Amino acid sequence: MRGLADLYFQQFKTSLASMLQYRAALVIWLIGHVLDPLIYLVVWTAVSRSQGGSVGGYGTPEFAAYFILLMLVNHATYTWIMYEYEYRVRHGMLSFALLRPVHPIHSDLADNISSKVITLPLILAAAAVLALIFKPAFHPVPWAAVAFAPALLLAFVLRFLMEWILALAAFWTTRVSALNQAYFIAMLFLSGQMAPLALLPRPLRLIADALPFRWTTSFPVELLLGRVDFPLALAGIGVQIAWLLLCLALLRFVWRAGVRVYSAVGA
Amino acid sequence: MCGPPGSTYIERVGAPPAIRIRNLRKTYRVSERAPGVRAALQSLVRRRVQEIPAVDGISFDLAPGEIVGFLGPNGAGKTTTLKMLSGLLYPTSGEVTVLGHTPSMREKEFLRQITLVMGQRNQLVWDIPAADSFELNRAIYRIPRADYRRTLDELVALLDLEPLLRKPVRNLSLGERMKCEVAAALLHRPRMVFLDEPTIGLDVTMQRRIRAFITEYNTRYGATVLLTSHYMADVEALCRRVVVIHHGKLLFDGELSALLERFTAHKTIVVRLEDCDADLRAYGDVLSCEDGVATLRVPKARTARVTERLLADLPVIDLTVEDPPIEEVIELVFSQEAP
Amino acid sequence: MRYLKLLWTFFRVGMMGELAYRANFFVQLLESLLELGTAVAGLAVVFSYTENLGGWKPDEVLALLGVFFLVGGAIRLMIQPSMEQLVESVRDGTLDFTLAKPENVQLLVSIQRVDIWKLIDVGLGIGVLAIALGRLGVHVGAAQACTFAATLLAGGLIAYSFWMILATSAFWFVRVENILMIFQSMYEAGRWPVSIYPGWLRVTLTFIVPVAFAVTVPAEALAGKLTWRTLVGAWAFAAGLFILAHLFWRAGIKRYSGASA
Repeated sequence: MRGLADLYFQQFKTSLASMLQYRAALVIWLIGHVLDPLIYLVVWTAVSRSQGGSVGGYGTPEFAAYFILLMLVNHATYTWIMYEYEYRVRHGMLSFALLRPVHPIHSDLADNISSKVITLPLILAAAAVLALIFKPAFHPVPWAAVAFAPALLLAFVLRFLMEWILALAAFWTTRVSALNQAYFIAMLFLSGQMAPLALLPRPLRLIADALPFRWTTSFPVELLLGRVDFPLALAGIGVQIAWLLLCLALLRFVWRAGVRVYSAVGA
Repeated sequence: MCGPPGSTYIERVGAPPAIRIRNLRKTYRVSERAPGVRAALQSLVRRRVQEIPAVDGISFDLAPGEIVGFLGPNGAGKTTTLKMLSGLLYPTSGEVTVLGHTPSMREKEFLRQITLVMGQRNQLVWDIPAADSFELNRAIYRIPRADYRRTLDELVALLDLEPLLRKPVRNLSLGERMKCEVAAALLHRPRMVFLDEPTIGLDVTMQRRIRAFITEYNTRYGATVLLTSHYMADVEALCRRVVVIHHGKLLFDGELSALLERFTAHKTIVVRLEDCDADLRAYGDVLSCEDGVATLRVPKARTARVTERLLADLPVIDLTVEDPPIEEVIELVFSQEAP
Repeated sequence: MRYLKLLWTFFRVGMMGELAYRANFFVQLLESLLELGTAVAGLAVVFSYTENLGGWKPDEVLALLGVFFLVGGAIRLMIQPSMEQLVESVRDGTLDFTLAKPENVQLLVSIQRVDIWKLIDVGLGIGVLAIALGRLGVHVGAAQACTFAATLLAGGLIAYSFWMILATSAFWFVRVENILMIFQSMYEAGRWPVSIYPGWLRVTLTFIVPVAFAVTVPAEALAGKLTWRTLVGAWAFAAGLFILAHLFWRAGIKRYSGASA
C-alpha cells in the first residue's frame, strides 16, 4: 500500500511538472469548456424569454445556475484519454508502458488530475465572471451540499473509467473516431450538456437514466441545485457505485484482451 | 572482459540459463492488395493474406552474466526477438524462458528484473529534469531508498551525469539523453539487460563511452546483456560471443573469431613500394594503389606464397597481412540468400 | 492565373491520394451524418419549446445550420489541414523544404493539404440549406444568390486570414500545439444566430474570432436580413484582415529564418 502511495506521489509530481509546460495549451482547451455551456445557456435563456420567462421549470436565473454549475462539473469530470490512446497506438508509444511493472492507468489518472489542478483557478474565475453577468439563482439545500462531494467524486471516477475503457478500443481498430463521436453525442444529450435532462423528451430521459451518462455529469449538478429529493439522491449514489463496480470488472477484462491483441501484432 | 563464454558451456557450468529459447517463431500475417479499382473490389470479397516469418525457428541459450551480441541486417528479426524476450510480443510458436519466467505472462516479478533500452526512443519524461524521471522510476520499481541512492551515485559516476541531472531532458543533446536513458533503465539493477541498437545515431566518442559503460556494468553487477546492433564496432568491443540472425534464422552462434574464420575466404596484403608503376595484377586483386601503397586481396590459402613472391620480385619497403575489415565479412554473411 | 493552377494541382493531388482509400468515404459520410443528425436533434429539442429564437424562425435557424455545415466543410477541406501542416512544419523544421521552393511560400503553405472527403460536409450543408429554404418558401433569385456568394466569399477570406494569423503565431509560440483549436472551439457558437448572444460575446464572435462573418452573415443574405452596411463592412473587414495576415506572415517568416537552428 505504501508503495502505491509513493507511486502516486511521484507520478503527480512528474505530471504536474509536465503539465505546467503545456499551460498555454491547457488554457486553449479551456475556451471550449467555457464556451460550450455558455452557448447553451444563451440559447435556453433566449427560449425562456420568448416563452414569458420560464420553460419546463427553469427560468432564466435557473438556467444560468444550471449551466454554470454544469461547466464546473464537466471540467472536473472530463478526460481526453480516448484521443491519447489513439495517438499512442498509432505512434507505437505503448512499449514503455507495457514494460513497467505497474498498470498504466495510474499515470493516466495522475495526468488528468494534475491538468485540472492547474486550470482550476481559471475555470473558477470564468464561473465567477459568468455568475456576475447572468445572475444565477441558487436554492441549495444543506444535505445536498454535503452529498455533492461524494456524488462528484463518484461521477469523476465513473466517467474516467468509462472513457479509459473506451480508449482501449484503439487496440482493436485504428478507426476509433466514429466510436468517439458516437460516445460524445451520447454524452451531449444524455448527460445534460445540451439541456437539463428534465427538458428532454421522455424516451431520451428514460435512456439517460438507464445508461451511465446521467450519473457522470448531470446527477451532481441536479443534486446541488436542489432538484433531487433525498431518496433519489441516495438511490443515485447507489447507481453510481453500481456502474463503478461494473466498470472496474470490465476494465480488467478489456485491458487483458487489449494487451493480448496488441502483443500479437506488436508495437 | 566479456563474461563467461557461450551456450555450449552452460551444461559444464551447471547454472540454469538466463535465457532459454527453443524453436522460437514469429509470423506476421499481412494482407496484400494490388493497386487499382478491380483489386480493391476483389479485396472486399476475398482477402489475400501473406505470412511473413520475422523469426523462423531459432534456438539458443544465454548463461547468467554473459554479454552476447545479436547481429543482423535490418529486418533480420533482431528487434522482434528482443520484444518476445521482454514480453512485448507474443510468439507464434516455440518456447522462451527468461530468468525462469515466461515473458508473455508479464508478471510483475519478471518485469522488475529486466530492462529494455531502445536507441532513439525515450522513456524519460520530456519536459522535466532527468533526476525527476529517476525518482519516478524509483517509485515504479519500488527500489528501496538506500539501494536507489547507492545505484544512482554509481551510475552518475560511471556515466558522468552530474551536470546533466537538473536540465530538462529536451535541452540535452542526443548523446547526453542516451546516457540518461541508460541510467534510468538500470536504476532498478535488472538482472537482464536488453539493448536494442543503443548506439544508433550517436557520435563516435559517445558510442565508445556507452560501450565502455556496458562492459563496466556487466563486470560490476554480473547482469546478463543481450545487445542488438548492426554496428560491428559495438559487437567487437563488447562480446566474445555473437549470434547472427538473418531472414529470421540463426546463421551462426559462437565466438567472434570463429565467425571471421568461417566466413573469410580472403586476406588483405598492404604493400608499400616506391610508386604505383608496377603491374601487381599477377599477385592478386588490386583493390587500390595510391602513392605507392597498394592493397591486394588474395585467397587465404595463397597468402604465404604471394607474400614470398612479392618480397622476392619487388623493392618492398613495407608489407602487412591483414584480415579483411569485419564489416566486409558480415556483409558477406548477410548477403546470403534466404535458404 | 498561375496561382489558380497551383491550387487546382494541389487539389487534384490531395484528391488522388485519398481516393485510394475508399473506406474513408464511408467513414466520413457516417461521421458527417452523425454530426448533422445531432445538430438537427438539438434544434428539434430547442424548438419544441418555442417558435422564435432571437427573432429567427425554426427553419431560418435550420438554414443557418446548412450554412454552418457548408462553411465548416469548406474550411476543413483545405484551410484547416494546410494550417495544421504549417504549424507542424514550423515545429519540426520541415518548413525549410517549402521555403526552398521557387513559389510564393504563403500560397504553398495555404494549399498544401486537402481533405477531400470534407466535400461531403459541403454537400450536406447545401442540402440542408436547400431544404430549409424550401420550407420557408423563399425563392432565391439571381440578386440574392449573388449577395449570398459575395458574403460567402468575404466570410471565406476572413476565415482564411484568421486561420493564417493563428498559424503564423506558431512562429512565436512554438510549444502551443493546439493554437488552432481557438477557432474550432469558437466556431461552435456559429450554429446559432449571433444576435442571441450578449453584446460582448457578439463583438468577440464578430471581430476577434470572426465566426459571425463566416456563418451568420451569409445566412442573413439568404434569409433576406442582410443590410448593405453589413455587406460593405464584411468586405472591408475581409480586405483589412487579409492584408494584416500577410504582413504578419512576412514577420513570422523573418523570425523563422533568423532563428532557425
